[in-house]
Amino acid sequence: MENLRTSKALKFVSYILLPVFVLLIGLSIFHLAFLDEYGNNGATKFIDTEMFANEYVYYITDNIANANDQKNNGATMFMQLEDVDGNEIYYLNRDYMYNYYNGINEYIDFIIIDEETNAIYTNMRISDYNSEIENMKNATKYWNYNNGNIETNIEYINNDNIKYNSTFQYAVLDEDGEASYVVSKEIIGYTIYSRYNPDRTGGLTNYKIVEGIYEFCLNNKSLPLYVLPISVIFTFAIAIYLCWAIGHEKGKDEIKLGYIDKIPYEILFLAWAVLLTIFASVAIQCISIANYITLIFAVLLYFICYIICAVTAVSTIKRLKARKFIKSFLTYKVGKWCFDKLKKLFDTLDEKTTENKRLFWYYLLFIIVSVMLACLFYTGIAIILLIGFWVWSYYKLKKYIIGQEKIKNALKDIYEGKNDVKLNEEELTGVLKEMSVYVNDIASGFSNAIQESLKSERLKTELITNVSHDIKTPLTSIINYVDLLKKENIQDEKVKEYIKILDQKSQRLKKLTEDLVEASKVSSGNVKLNIESIDIKELFNQTIGEFKDRFEQKDLKIEVQMPSEDIKIKADSRYLYRIIENLFSNITKYALDSSRVYIDVVENNKYINISIKNISKDKLNISADELMQRFVRGDKSRYTEGSGLGLSIAKSLTELQGGKFDIIIDGDLFKVEIDWPEI
Amino acid sequence: MYNILVVDDDKEIVGAIEIYLKKEGYNILKAYNGEEALDIVNNNEIHLIILDIMMPKKDGLETLEEIRKSKTIPVILLSAKSEDYDKIGGLNSGADDYITKPFNPLELIARVNSSLRRYVSFGSLKKEEENNKKIYKTGGLEVDDDTKKVLVDGKEVKLTATEFNILKFLLANKGKVYSIPEIYENVWKEEGFGAENIIAVHIRHIREKIEINPKEPRYLKVIWGVGYKIEDIK
Repeated sequence: MENLRTSKALKFVSYILLPVFVLLIGLSIFHLAFLDEYGNNGATKFIDTEMFANEYVYYITDNIANANDQKNNGATMFMQLEDVDGNEIYYLNRDYMYNYYNGINEYIDFIIIDEETNAIYTNMRISDYNSEIENMKNATKYWNYNNGNIETNIEYINNDNIKYNSTFQYAVLDEDGEASYVVSKEIIGYTIYSRYNPDRTGGLTNYKIVEGIYEFCLNNKSLPLYVLPISVIFTFAIAIYLCWAIGHEKGKDEIKLGYIDKIPYEILFLAWAVLLTIFASVAIQCISIANYITLIFAVLLYFICYIICAVTAVSTIKRLKARKFIKSFLTYKVGKWCFDKLKKLFDTLDEKTTENKRLFWYYLLFIIVSVMLACLFYTGIAIILLIGFWVWSYYKLKKYIIGQEKIKNALKDIYEGKNDVKLNEEELTGVLKEMSVYVNDIASGFSNAIQESLKSERLKTELITNVSHDIKTPLTSIINYVDLLKKENIQDEKVKEYIKILDQKSQRLKKLTEDLVEASKVSSGNVKLNIESIDIKELFNQTIGEFKDRFEQKDLKIEVQMPSEDIKIKADSRYLYRIIENLFSNITKYALDSSRVYIDVVENNKYINISIKNISKDKLNISADELMQRFVRGDKSRYTEGSGLGLSIAKSLTELQGGKFDIIIDGDLFKVEIDWPEI
Repeated sequence: MYNILVVDDDKEIVGAIEIYLKKEGYNILKAYNGEEALDIVNNNEIHLIILDIMMPKKDGLETLEEIRKSKTIPVILLSAKSEDYDKIGGLNSGADDYITKPFNPLELIARVNSSLRRYVSFGSLKKEEENNKKIYKTGGLEVDDDTKKVLVDGKEVKLTATEFNILKFLLANKGKVYSIPEIYENVWKEEGFGAENIIAVHIRHIREKIEINPKEPRYLKVIWGVGYKIEDIK
């Protein structure tokens, strides 16, 4: 059962069959209706039906009207040919004929004689009209009208039921040439000879198709009796199946809604109505014209209409099944939105917050007083009071907004790191006063915390400085006595080696203590900056000059790239040098021998970007962040010279002066990027 | 034979300094606190004092003040305190020089020699000659343009012609800061040519020759990112 419901193939077949059965129902009903109207005399040929008679007479009387028009109103539906036997001959205009009703006219010959003028109106081009009139009576179907007498072998024209067998209708034209009203008139003064002539137009014409359809109907009278019930049963079955199965998919419990199902239902419905109207009316036009192309078109349009209806119906069913039908109305959504807003508004009144209540009462007061004063508006005093009341309300509101602004600014200051924020609590009232008290508390809390942390940083620095002093004194003795030992005349190579190690390590200890103090000072911001204008080019020239010998010892080539104009920055010159010195000193220690060192200075929108690149001698299996931490060195072994504080100091010093210091490691490429704010 | 008083509460340091300076041919007197030092100064003829700052009883700066009340002998402060304000404070209290611990023995010896030379052999000696000759001078640094000689604390230093010209230029305009292109234009008398770090190399070489500690120059100062100058020392 569930498989039946989710089967895609079955649904597909159903979708295809449904329009076919519906079409069959339609055709069967048409068939039955046709038989009911025209099939009761047992005719098996179209020319024996009442319909044929109707159209036949309609065509003839219409042409009498045309002749009448031509004679009295100067219409040109007939064109005049050469006279025959002294009679004027008018031939039915071909152009007119083709524009004319596209049907039975193709198979009827007529000769209409105006008894007054003996003029002949015809659709036949022949030389001898008199003998042709005689021939007419030999036709399968003919209709002559002479002096109020009807001669015909068409059953229904003999029948009195046909009212217009002796009248014709014509339009009376007004001054603009428009038909203003239609007159029925007895056919008096015209003699008519006409016949049905199946050979008049050869081949398969539109009329022949229609005729074929009609004759099929006449010859298969019992067909709809089978087809209709079967079609109805199948249509209902398929429709019920589809209603049951639509929206269900394999493995899914819920009804899946698509794009179309999300369109508000009113819009979908409107689109359906408009499209269906358009296509259906075009289809009806096509059927009424009834030629090959229009009929094919009609069938096509029928299927298009089916698709439009199917899409709408499917979406409707899906919405209903998903219980979203009502919700999918735009009206519902808009209504709900309005309702929610209103509900929220009224809910806030229920909330227990005092500010809300106050706002509500204030607002109510404002409205009541305004309305009351407005009602008394015709007295001058009321106008003044009302304006006064409005001004007072504005003043109140403004005071509140200004208070809010003050608190906002205070909070912004705290957020931006200012800790000397202090709001005047007395200036504010109500909830703003409360808020200002909290803001002040937070500000002082922050301020205290910052003071505390600064104090602890300072204590730490002081501690490190003091400890380093205490280390330096014994270190002095160690260095000096090691130096003295070195100068002693010692023969033992082993002892000499030991002394060498002592010398190296004591020197390193010395460097370490110095760097340690500096690093702790710099990282705690405990340095006094002496900011001045500095020329970067000069700085690099000087620094490279300082390091030239050491670079040359390692065979390092320095490639400097700088803009041609002078670049000035604001910095403490000694600390800036310290940064570059640390970096250069690292390069002399860690760069690959005989490699190149690139120094690029670029002016970059408010920043001077200094980048120093070199190739590392050893593999750098360490992250850039780690490298900038204190006591970390690229080799990790701590064997080589250096304290591991150089980069940390350089970074701290850069940041202290407002710059940005970054290390980028890419394979063996070691790159330092410094962004320094331009003046 | 000059008498040098070494004062430090750390006996080993005093001992080490004694060894170094004795080798240089000086007579060493030792004290281990400020009071002892004052005693010795008052009772002996002392030519130079090496004074530690952090000491018990009377610290180095107090002792220095006491000494300065009656004596003009050169005093070199020796301290583990290496901050700028420590050095400035020490020099402002009347010290002639300031050495930080741990020190390089060679530097200590050089500074002792230099201070002594200035104190003993300098002074009024060459004053009359200055009028006749083209001599540029600051502190213990003298450049004689006639003989192309450079003297530091009376001791001759060998400079190359370029180095000499740069030094002479800076000394003639002492106290003023010159950038590398300016130095180039003034010494070579032509426009700078771009990669002027050669000048920086020359200046480093000059500094290595005329300064006791080139890293902390007394005469030829580097102002990083601005230029170079010769300090004007009276």
